[in-house]
Amino acid sequence: MRGLTAGQYRPLTDENIKAVHETSANLLQNPGIRCDNEKALELFAQNGAEVNKETKMVKIPRGMLEDAIASAPSRVTLCGREEKNDLILEGKRTHLGTGGTVLNALDLETGERRPTVRKDMKDFAKLVDALDNIHFFMLPLYPNDIEVQNIDVNRFFWALANTSKHIMGGVYTVDGIRSVIDIAEKISGGPEKLRQRPIVSMVTCVMSPLVIDDTYGGLLMEVAGQGIPVVCPAEPLAGATAPSTIAGTVAISNAETLSGIVLAQLTNKGTPTIYGTVSSSMDMKTGSYLSGNIEMGLINAASAQMAQYYEIPIYATAGMSDSKLPDAQAGYEKMATAMITALAGANFIHDAAGFLEFCTTISYEQMVLDDEMIGICMRAVKGIEVTEETLAEEVIRSVGAGGNFLANPHTMKHCRSEFFYPTIGDRQSRKLWEKNGAQDARQRSIEKAKLILSEHKPLQIADEVINDIKAKYPQLDI
Amino acid sequence: MSLYEQISLAVQKGEIEEVGSLSKQALEEGNNALDVLNSALMPGIEIVGEKFGRDELFIPEVMMCAQALQAGINTINPFLTKEQSSYKAKIVIGTVANDVHDLGKNLVKMMFTANGFEVIDMGVDVSAEKFAAALEEHKPQVLGLSALLTTTMPEMSKTIELINSKGLHNGLQIMVGGAPVTEDFAKEIGADFYADNAIEAANTVKGMI
Repeated sequence: MRGLTAGQYRPLTDENIKAVHETSANLLQNPGIRCDNEKALELFAQNGAEVNKETKMVKIPRGMLEDAIASAPSRVTLCGREEKNDLILEGKRTHLGTGGTVLNALDLETGERRPTVRKDMKDFAKLVDALDNIHFFMLPLYPNDIEVQNIDVNRFFWALANTSKHIMGGVYTVDGIRSVIDIAEKISGGPEKLRQRPIVSMVTCVMSPLVIDDTYGGLLMEVAGQGIPVVCPAEPLAGATAPSTIAGTVAISNAETLSGIVLAQLTNKGTPTIYGTVSSSMDMKTGSYLSGNIEMGLINAASAQMAQYYEIPIYATAGMSDSKLPDAQAGYEKMATAMITALAGANFIHDAAGFLEFCTTISYEQMVLDDEMIGICMRAVKGIEVTEETLAEEVIRSVGAGGNFLANPHTMKHCRSEFFYPTIGDRQSRKLWEKNGAQDARQRSIEKAKLILSEHKPLQIADEVINDIKAKYPQLDI
Repeated sequence: MSLYEQISLAVQKGEIEEVGSLSKQALEEGNNALDVLNSALMPGIEIVGEKFGRDELFIPEVMMCAQALQAGINTINPFLTKEQSSYKAKIVIGTVANDVHDLGKNLVKMMFTANGFEVIDMGVDVSAEKFAAALEEHKPQVLGLSALLTTTMPEMSKTIELINSKGLHNGLQIMVGGAPVTEDFAKEIGADFYADNAIEAANTVKGMI
């Protein structure tokens, strides 16, 4: 059900959308953004922005903003190593998948929280490869057993080797970006082929409020310059790095990601650039960053409407939880934000699978549970088909009063496509449920995760390509 | 693919008309009716039963397969002698007096048919006397009684009492089911077994025969 068109949920009216846009455009002109990267400052100045070299403030004029919105493509295709996994991001086409980046995992055997390692990257990629409802694999974790200078290549390569779904990931160094692109080019069959079918894409970020920092500004320009799809999301937290109001937070997030789009388009006009937000709020009781709050869903749904207004695909954030384990809280928090953000038609909803505890911990069984949750969200996105065939007037007439529809050919024809069938949710009688060990959803998910990890075989990369990569990048320990 | 394989496949796909016409063709080509039943129709429905057990087929699909099987049997039936029936067993089934609910009963019937049993469906609102008469007429191995209402559950008890008093319970297994019915209730009224749902009912009978 990947890529189905949503848009049923619209928390902003058309007037609201224009008001947010006006606010954001005004903010980009005054006060503008602070840009700590020298090259980026120069680029802004060359193209007619008002740059103050002392304060590093850049006032982005309306014309520059409008040009960038116009030149950013309205359709960005993110490819998998297999075409069936391609994602066409445009309009209100909806996809959900994993996100990044955490430092801890709940161990599948012991249930204990422990630091993530390289093997987790391999195992999670393989798990996601087998879970049909998870549409892409965004690199979800930081392997604590890898030196920082080798982190980019290890994260991307081991994901690419274990799933044929699209890989998006955060990046840490310019050298790392270059090596990752080199590896992806080898797998794709050359630089041209990678640009035609980008099997990787990258994420940098804006520092809220209103700062393009030196490192991330540089990373953004590097990826954009290379013509690889890039997201420059903003992460304002309502009440901390953004106003405590949802509208104000949407407006500042909008201004920030637009500033990233302007910089990317100034760097390489027409390069695939994705609008992005990871915006949420701070808990007013504890001061903690929140990931399972319903307001995050509102912010992301509204941001999807803004991106649709600009006709630029959006990278949004939903489906997380602040719970420490896969429990009832995890279930309802995740479903709430994932459902409304999906129904808003956000194109690439990341962080929607596997995460717990303020986006700091990943869990194998949670990944399996979230696969099912995403399937349910997508069924809601699919909505109701109303045709002569589905209204079934003749069928109702032929079954007649007091009859049943179970044995009617119409029922057989539609029974697979009309209903979502859970693989984790229990619908057995109590007797059968008890016979099967009286397990709860978490226990069933642990079993499914173990089964997939022991049996699933992702599409392999050709041996000669692997040998080539192995020779050039010994730090991968292939 | 041989004609028998085509028939079997058409049963598995629930193609009612196809099964009827292919069965007819098989007879016209000089095949023995019993052979068509045992080597084409029954193997098809066996596979349906197995697939349903593995969650590969859904209830509406099995319903269609059972109807397709029935179409084939209707075609060859005139050419079979009484003794030649290859059904595993004969089952009389119905909803008890004053109760007109039949969805559950129909599901059970469908599962029996899909598992190769001959089912004589008495319909709904069937009195104890009618059940007793059917037992004398059809001489089944199994009798299935269904009730949805707590108010009609006592009819099950009444029916079993009548059957016992007429000496018809010998060699007969009586099964009860329906939303309000429980294992304890089944024991209490002298039924031989109870099943939670249609699949369990079919599996239990399969295990007994």
